[in-house]
Amino acid sequence: MTTRRSFLAAAALSPVAWARAGAAGQPGAPDVAGGPPLSRVFAAGPPAAVLVCVLAPESLLGWPSRLDPESLAWIGPPAADRPVLGRLAGRGSTVSLETLVQLKPELVLDVGTVDATHASMAERVRQQTGLRCELLGGRLAESPALLRRAGALLGVPGRAEGLARRAEQILAEVERERPRHASTSVYLARGADGLETGLGGSINVEALEFVGARNVAAAGGEGGITRVSLEQVLAWDPEVLVTQDSAFAGSVRSDPVWRGVRAVRGGRILCAPSLPFGWLDNPPGINRLVGVLWLARRLDSGQGGDDLREAVRAFYAAFYRITLSGSQLQRLLGETT
Amino acid sequence: MSGRGRREPRRDLLLRAAAPILLLGLVLLALAVGKYPLSPADIARAVAGRLTGDDAAVPEAVSTVLWRIRLPRVVAGLLVGAALSAAGAAYQGMFRNPLVSPDILGVSAGSGLGALTGIYLHLPMALVQALAFAGGLGAVLLVTALAGRVRRHDPVLVLVLAGVAASAMLGAGMSLLKVLADPYTQLPAMTYWLLGGLVTVTGADAAAAAPGLVAGMAPLVLLRWRMNLLSLPDEEVLALGVNPRRLRSVLILGATLMTASAVSISGIVGWVGLVVPHVARLAVGPDFRRLLPAALLLGAGFLVGADTVARTAASIEIPLGILTALVGGPFFLWLLARSRRAW
Amino acid sequence: MSLLEVRDLAFGYRHHPVGRDVTLCLGPGEVLALLGPNGAGKTTLFRTILGWLPPVAGEVVLEGRPLAQWTRPRLARLLGYVPQAHAGLFAFTVLDVVLMGRTAHLAVFGVPTRRDREVALQALDDLGVAALAPRVYTELSGGERQLVLVARALAQEPRLLVMDEPTASLDFGNQIRVLDEISALGRRGIAVLMSTHHPDHARRVAGRVALLKRGRIVGEGAPDALLSVHQLARLYDVDPARIGALATEGWGRGGPGA
Repeated sequence: MTTRRSFLAAAALSPVAWARAGAAGQPGAPDVAGGPPLSRVFAAGPPAAVLVCVLAPESLLGWPSRLDPESLAWIGPPAADRPVLGRLAGRGSTVSLETLVQLKPELVLDVGTVDATHASMAERVRQQTGLRCELLGGRLAESPALLRRAGALLGVPGRAEGLARRAEQILAEVERERPRHASTSVYLARGADGLETGLGGSINVEALEFVGARNVAAAGGEGGITRVSLEQVLAWDPEVLVTQDSAFAGSVRSDPVWRGVRAVRGGRILCAPSLPFGWLDNPPGINRLVGVLWLARRLDSGQGGDDLREAVRAFYAAFYRITLSGSQLQRLLGETT
Repeated sequence: MSGRGRREPRRDLLLRAAAPILLLGLVLLALAVGKYPLSPADIARAVAGRLTGDDAAVPEAVSTVLWRIRLPRVVAGLLVGAALSAAGAAYQGMFRNPLVSPDILGVSAGSGLGALTGIYLHLPMALVQALAFAGGLGAVLLVTALAGRVRRHDPVLVLVLAGVAASAMLGAGMSLLKVLADPYTQLPAMTYWLLGGLVTVTGADAAAAAPGLVAGMAPLVLLRWRMNLLSLPDEEVLALGVNPRRLRSVLILGATLMTASAVSISGIVGWVGLVVPHVARLAVGPDFRRLLPAALLLGAGFLVGADTVARTAASIEIPLGILTALVGGPFFLWLLARSRRAW
Repeated sequence: MSLLEVRDLAFGYRHHPVGRDVTLCLGPGEVLALLGPNGAGKTTLFRTILGWLPPVAGEVVLEGRPLAQWTRPRLARLLGYVPQAHAGLFAFTVLDVVLMGRTAHLAVFGVPTRRDREVALQALDDLGVAALAPRVYTELSGGERQLVLVARALAQEPRLLVMDEPTASLDFGNQIRVLDEISALGRRGIAVLMSTHHPDHARRVAGRVALLKRGRIVGEGAPDALLSVHQLARLYDVDPARIGALATEGWGRGGPGA
């Protein structure tokens, strides 16, 4: 579960893994793939689905898990009409290899942790089915590279390049503002009771830590998701509470015990939107790009101001091809105050 | 007790007096330690404030941590530990087997399935707990109803086998839900529920579980003498003037109510219902008139102790079920290795 | 009035009848020994008399009332059952084991009182084993355990005792002890119905004897007449010559050393 360590190991291994999987492009090399856009792509997990939906929605064969109807409504056709096919995740798969073969995808794409385990899983699928499998690293900081590589694989390098540049801009901007947030302590509240959080370096708090804020749970060590007691949260006393669960955000304000936390008393509860995809987490894909921008702004001052609205509108138009109406924008940004 | 042929009254008196005092000491210790730094002075002031009714001088954080977080948690620990242990003692007596735990008729599996279903359907926590309770109770009712229709020579064995089969099926249901669950949000919640813990317990939770616990305790206390008779073969029990099937049904219902109530707020905490009654029996003997209070005290103390370790030993919360297994497992092996003829 | 009357009883399981036309009676203080080969149906007959198995036909009448009309607790205050000594699983004290016999006299939610303890200790004392009271049952010898089980049945303050092979697996000395206690019970006015595989034991304690073969009573009456070589040979299907000298030289006729 120590993704930082495994990332270093993966960086060493990745050329090998990709060579085995028959990757068309080497890391850092210019797009070599070329060729027409693919029309049948299987997304192995939610981050991959987001990526395909963003780059080439018409090629998406199906979704790895069910999205709620509102998200689908925002996504719109053609991707929204695709069926739920299931995840491909080693033993945790809900799609059978036979179904996979029947679908005859031109590419099986997975985005996430690139370590020896996942690389070998991709290799196995390739060997058993003869299909082309690609595993790409999904860390937030690598988003531009991810977009470019995926664009090459999917045969849409032009679009990918444009999006990659935007991603670079967003990330650079947020990086510049990092020093401002270095002393702000933040707690990521997951789950309906808010007592689940991500330890240091976990993929769930990546957005938080990229923005430069101090994850209070990092004091508990490095790793993945963990459970904490309310007493522990009180002891950490974060300045800001960040969550993606709107029910929790609503209930915590009036909870007498949570009021012991600085963040709740001061009203600094940031609830990230999740339409059509979560802004900070769930899934941990490129959907987080808009989230880091929002988070950085929100940590600075109370409101985002007009340029945040513009940035969000631009992001949605470019990435999701959604033109946000005033009320939708209000919904997204308004519900977070 | 090995080799000794008699019980010593003086030693019993000492145990009986010392046990509640030790438990009280443990409770006070549990209230005094935790992640939030509270000095003994803080605690003393808070307690004084509560007693005199004058809370004004006590900082709000201290009050919150002590009364709203630690106290419900300790109380819940006492209740859950006592309930699981008493239910375990009852089951061990009824099934004439000291290696039996309350899970044997499927209450844990049924509770688990109920809770996981609630989590899968995105229901609020209160409903998840209610489903856990209903699932546990329902599973045992189903098992006893099924077993009742099978007329075999050994009704106890039939019950046990039906329980094993039911647990297996319910377990399969749980596994299915885990596969279908959203791996980012629902699966962690399910996993933590199944590992057991008192992390999120509030005063309301403890209050909600209390009626079931008390109602379930009642038959065990009232029938504590008759419970002893169930150690004999059914026919001898009949000859002594008692209907063993009816007696067992009532006691199973009571023990199940207790277990289901406990599990609904704590998740599945294993080993408490197996090892603690055993230790209690080694200390005070199998007579349920003495075993029951001993099991209650010991179970309460054990769980409060384990929970205190779970929330203070490491920087993260250790799931309670893991701790009890780490303690219970080796202890259980040690008990087996002693190869006693009688328990 | 006789304590126990069995009239034209047919007994057995639903699809497996074991015996029929059994008629017996037993009055206060009488000791009746039931003998028969393995599989004759002694155990099934006892289970029917004790009410654990419904009769196929005929009836069992206790103190003038049919068995079906007796409630369990009332029946337990009349009728005590002594099984063969078993090993026991939980380490109850002897006193607790005997106290279990008092349950029929307790209310549903009752626990044994001082009076119950006195009765239990008295039962142990009557059998000469009061010293065993604080000991752990599972650590006793076979004979001691058998006596404790008799005490348990006596604690019920019954008027009739049903004993299933009370001397099985006991050594010679313990056998004598138990048999003497059975005679003493008879003298105290408690009726005893026992099954045994030992004709000599029956001759020693029983006032009357009944022979059960293939589910039918093939003889009933005084021990001397029924426990002759000829009768025993017929009952157990053995050659009378093989019984021979042992029987004629007397096995416990009257007393030891006779």
